Amino acid sequence: MKCRILRRDKLTDWLAELLGTGRQLIAPQREGEEVVFKPVRAADEILLDYGNTRWPLKEWFFPRSEPILRYRYRGSSVELEQPHLGLEPRVIFGVRPCDATGVMILDQVFHSDYEDEFYTRRRAMTTIVGLACTEPAEACFCTAVGLSPTSSEGCDMLLTPMGDESYLVETPTDKGKQLLWEYAHYFGAGECGSKEMVTEAAEAKLSRRAWLAQGIEAVDGLFEHPIWTELARKCVGCGICAYVCPTCHCFDILDEADAWGGVRCRNWDSCAFSLFTLHASGHNPRPEQDARYRQRVMHKFSYFPQRFGRVMCVGCGRCVAACPVNLDIYETAQAVLSRAATMPNAHENPGRKRQPPHSV
Amino acid sequence: MPDENWQPRIVAFVCQWCTYAGADLAGTNRMKYEPHVRIVKLPCSGRIDPLFLVKAFEQGADGVLVSGCHPGDCHYVSGNMLARRRFTVFRELLNFLGLEPERLQFSWVSAAEAVKWTEVVDAVTEEIRRLGPRKLSWGQGPPGESFKFQVSSSKVEPETWNLKPEIQKAAEEGIRRIARQLLQTGEVGVVVGYGKGTLNGVTTPVFITEPDEVEQLVWNEHCLNNLSVYLTRNLVRELGRVGVVAKGCDAKALVVLLQENQICRHDLSIIGVPCAGMLENGRLAAKCATCDVHRPPLYDHLAEVEIGSEEAEADPRDAEIAALEALTPAERWAYWQEQFSRCIRCYACRAVCPLCYCDTCIVEKTQPQWIPPAFDGKGNLSWNIFRAFHLAGRCVGCDECARVCPTHIRLDLINRKLALLIREEYGYRAGYETGAAPPLTTFRPEDRAEFIR
Repeated sequence: MKCRILRRDKLTDWLAELLGTGRQLIAPQREGEEVVFKPVRAADEILLDYGNTRWPLKEWFFPRSEPILRYRYRGSSVELEQPHLGLEPRVIFGVRPCDATGVMILDQVFHSDYEDEFYTRRRAMTTIVGLACTEPAEACFCTAVGLSPTSSEGCDMLLTPMGDESYLVETPTDKGKQLLWEYAHYFGAGECGSKEMVTEAAEAKLSRRAWLAQGIEAVDGLFEHPIWTELARKCVGCGICAYVCPTCHCFDILDEADAWGGVRCRNWDSCAFSLFTLHASGHNPRPEQDARYRQRVMHKFSYFPQRFGRVMCVGCGRCVAACPVNLDIYETAQAVLSRAATMPNAHENPGRKRQPPHSV
Repeated sequence: MPDENWQPRIVAFVCQWCTYAGADLAGTNRMKYEPHVRIVKLPCSGRIDPLFLVKAFEQGADGVLVSGCHPGDCHYVSGNMLARRRFTVFRELLNFLGLEPERLQFSWVSAAEAVKWTEVVDAVTEEIRRLGPRKLSWGQGPPGESFKFQVSSSKVEPETWNLKPEIQKAAEEGIRRIARQLLQTGEVGVVVGYGKGTLNGVTTPVFITEPDEVEQLVWNEHCLNNLSVYLTRNLVRELGRVGVVAKGCDAKALVVLLQENQICRHDLSIIGVPCAGMLENGRLAAKCATCDVHRPPLYDHLAEVEIGSEEAEADPRDAEIAALEALTPAERWAYWQEQFSRCIRCYACRAVCPLCYCDTCIVEKTQPQWIPPAFDGKGNLSWNIFRAFHLAGRCVGCDECARVCPTHIRLDLINRKLALLIREEYGYRAGYETGAAPPLTTFRPEDRAEFIR
């Protein structure tokens, strides 16, 4: 079968040339004990044989902390300053398909009822070059949420390793086609095997294969079901899962001010924190960790699918591997899905009578 | 280019009874001294929270001066002696993180010592003027390639690991037997133990409430979590009396929780397990190589197994700490700023810490916002200072914070440094005696503090 290919021995040359053309190149590189996406200085520092990066792609579009405006007092008036994004066209190379889909999910959020200027501008300047995954990690479960280790969804260009010689090149978007056209001399037509076989081989290595992509129906009684307390009892309430998640996108906006002015900053936030829902009155509608964990799971598997038509999880397994107490969203989703499936959809609410904490 | 008109900005936090009165006397006597100190008056040096000092640095102070009554002269009897211990530890912490020691100064100035006040201010101003303005702002590292500090990793190889499968099996059976008995007799409502994890090399906390569920409890070389963190959690406490599986290091945390009245001894059954060590990333965890509590110091029921006698080795981190201390402050500063720049404020260090039990953490206090919430140098440095300082004299070295940190910040080095300091200064080790007074809540009149002018 004839298809568009990139020879493996040409890949570094291509990346080196990309690096010299005024585009910023961001790719997985080693940093201490971890592999992370960072700007490339030399093409030979780019890693190709990594499982997945420590952090997802989202921080390149939606930074951990982002100043959205600065202000300064001038006498009796206030001077506002828009932050300078300092953007240049950039290519992010080596993105796993799960992360690329994560960006698509963020697109849906940040382009929904409000067009987020900061996100949109960064997104428009970026071309995503994916690298299909042939060695899924132990915690991975992308097929369970309807994805595949070789899916091109979310990528502008996807490279799939086909044997030892070459990569199959797919360009599902115009940005990808543009990139291909610009560097056409690297991308030849050639013989390559069947992608289905590569996909099947990669998928066969996944051990977590329950089907979770249907999401959780809005079932009466599930919200108040004691299962949430049972599942969340071990949760210690840190924010690791939300911060390593390619799709979690909650943030908080705060002013950091001194006597002369300040900056209004948008910071990542996590529904696992008690402060996330604390009202100014002191009332907290999610008073304990079970309510907070329920929010995390229901947002991913129920509320988001109801609104956007797909589950908000890409099965990258990062939260599973990084959780201090091994609270596993794959297991949780399975438990909740099966519970929801068997629940009588009646107006029956078992409720949960919380006892006061044991006396001390 | 340094501004030639630059003058130091120094913030002085002083007690109202002595130093403030002394400064007042200097004023009414028209004494002439350096004018670069801004005074903040507080009721007592015991009221001067290190938060204030950090806030001053964060907002750009070049130096900070803390001053109160001489020991023995406190209007409130002992506030200054408590402050002396607190600042001994706090100053060492900032020193360890690379703040030049001249920038943080302390003195005792009485209401009569107007002359001393002018001398202290002149001397402090002169020292800070000599250092010049702070080149790097709070939480900022040097530009360019960040400073990397390398020490040879001295973690012990797994060959020294001596927990044999048959011993693990015996301990596991012991735990199950005790748990079943506790649940059957109604002595506890829940047993918190280790269960099989969903990934290789991982266990997960389990909460057993029925006697026939005890088969879920496991014991192997991956039981790293410190389960005592759950004893202060409402979702666990609401199940009744708690039985908790505890290694020696975990039991030390229970000792501190009891000492600080966070749990009641009568509401707790400790299932102690003798432990020869746990593996972390395939190697014996650092805390295990140096462990001196292979048998829990405190338990109600013991899953008795023979583990042999293990000699505690020298802590490999002590060499790392010594190597860091041999660097210049600027190098140490660069090292720690690089470490803290990786902090993503997920607060996992706090969440897994059994001794971080406050309902409202300092970082959640928003009026005022003591710790800047943005994930940048300023807030990251302040957060990491206070996480460490709030555990000074309390941390039992279970290393959970360092284990879970997703960016591998060397929190264990900071905790260990403070533990060593407190042991040296006050002869105290946390987690051994439920009756002992925590070192920063007490004092001795003869406590040393030569750095105080």
